[in-house]
Amino acid sequence: MAALGWVLRAARQVLPSPCPGQVRTYYVDWRMLRDVKRRRLAYEYADERLRINAIRKNTILPKELQEVADKEIAALPRDSCPSRIHNRCVLTSRPRGVRRRWRLSRIVFRHFADHAQVSGVQRAMW
Amino acid sequence: MWGRVRVWGGGGFASRLLGAAAAAPRLHCSPHSKVQKPFSTSSVLSDEKDECTTSKGSTTEGASKRQKGTAETPKQKLLDIIGNMKVEVSYRKKLQELKASENKKQAMNRLEGPDSEGPQRTAESIQRGKPLNPELVKAASAVASSLPLNKKQTESELLAQLRRHEETTDKQKKGETINIRNVISEMTVKRQSPAQRGVRISSRISLELDDDGQRIRPERFLSQSFDSRRSLKVGKRLNIFTKASTEPEHALKTVPSPTIWDLEFAKEIAAITAQPPRNGFEEMIQWTKEGILWEFPIDNEVGMDDDAEFHEHIFLDKHLEGFPKEGPIRHFMELVICGLSKNPYLSVKQKIEHIEWFEKYFEEKKEFLQEI
Repeated sequence: MAALGWVLRAARQVLPSPCPGQVRTYYVDWRMLRDVKRRRLAYEYADERLRINAIRKNTILPKELQEVADKEIAALPRDSCPSRIHNRCVLTSRPRGVRRRWRLSRIVFRHFADHAQVSGVQRAMW
Repeated sequence: MWGRVRVWGGGGFASRLLGAAAAAPRLHCSPHSKVQKPFSTSSVLSDEKDECTTSKGSTTEGASKRQKGTAETPKQKLLDIIGNMKVEVSYRKKLQELKASENKKQAMNRLEGPDSEGPQRTAESIQRGKPLNPELVKAASAVASSLPLNKKQTESELLAQLRRHEETTDKQKKGETINIRNVISEMTVKRQSPAQRGVRISSRISLELDDDGQRIRPERFLSQSFDSRRSLKVGKRLNIFTKASTEPEHALKTVPSPTIWDLEFAKEIAAITAQPPRNGFEEMIQWTKEGILWEFPIDNEVGMDDDAEFHEHIFLDKHLEGFPKEGPIRHFMELVICGLSKNPYLSVKQKIEHIEWFEKYFEEKKEFLQEI
């Protein structure tokens, strides 16, 4: 419920900026939206997760304490785990073929590069 | 209809003659006398016929003069007109002399005026009207004789009118200055405070109206009326010798909080003034303002306002007072501190928070740890 509210607010707050070109007010698809939610939660629980893991991955502290820590970290929301984040294409939400540096899928990257809209990128020839 | 027009024109003509003398009647009269000599007879004759039909109550001096002329032959009418002109000139000079001498007398009379009205007024009028009355009394008498009504009544009415004219003109000449002085002293000077200038400007530009139809919203400023003369107690207190009482000021300042309309208006202005960039430089400026583009030369410590010294980052032993001095927990925490001291990315505050979290965590698990 709260997550939905946050998502709606995020969608609404995108005001019509006076920029040329396409204005995207919605996420491309629901998978992208879920990925956005996971990223947000991961950011919120990052510190806590780090500290609990520091207790867990320990040889000094007693094992009982570490087992308690295991249970605690499992009780956290599942989407707060950073490994659930998947780097999708920012424009098309394509899960595969995404170049990390530009956050774009290979097709979109090629499209922009051919129109000379990616800085410092040129067709290779050697 | 034509007759009435003539009467009106004649009345104006005569009132200018008899009233506060200006150059206008002079100029007005001379062409009449010079140009209209051959025409005067006809005009006067026509006046004769017209004014016989006019209403009897028209007590105009012009009518009196013309009718005086009509009583005699046309030549005598001309002479009378010339004589009237002379009368006018003489009247002017006499009036000026009289006024120069009688200013004081009239001032005195003014002061005494509200006390005793009738006899002194008439005395004034008689004093003022001295140069006039002999000539005009003759004219008035001639008019009265020509008119079929009671002669004395008409005479008295005409003379009263004359007096009134003079009185009013003299009063206006002296009374107006006093009235203006009163008006100006009553007027207050409004001053703008710079704190509220924005609100004032917005209220001025907008065509919004309150319930009363008044534009300016903060009406409390009207109560703060400043005198044109400066006084010691007016103005903002510096509070050098007394303690500053900030409560009423705050109360005043918080009253005009920006309303929704103010915010909307501000947004409108911002949207209108934010024109699209004309060239690449302006675009880059816009980006820098938004934070998209970094400021050059690049500052590595932008956004990092860590004012702590290096020893606060490295020597974190003092934060370990809440932990037991021996045991695995202490060992663990010392490792944590060792790691934090080598971390350049966290601020001192974040490091302290880190340690405090552990402290809290171990506090909660204390009972559990006792069992072990």
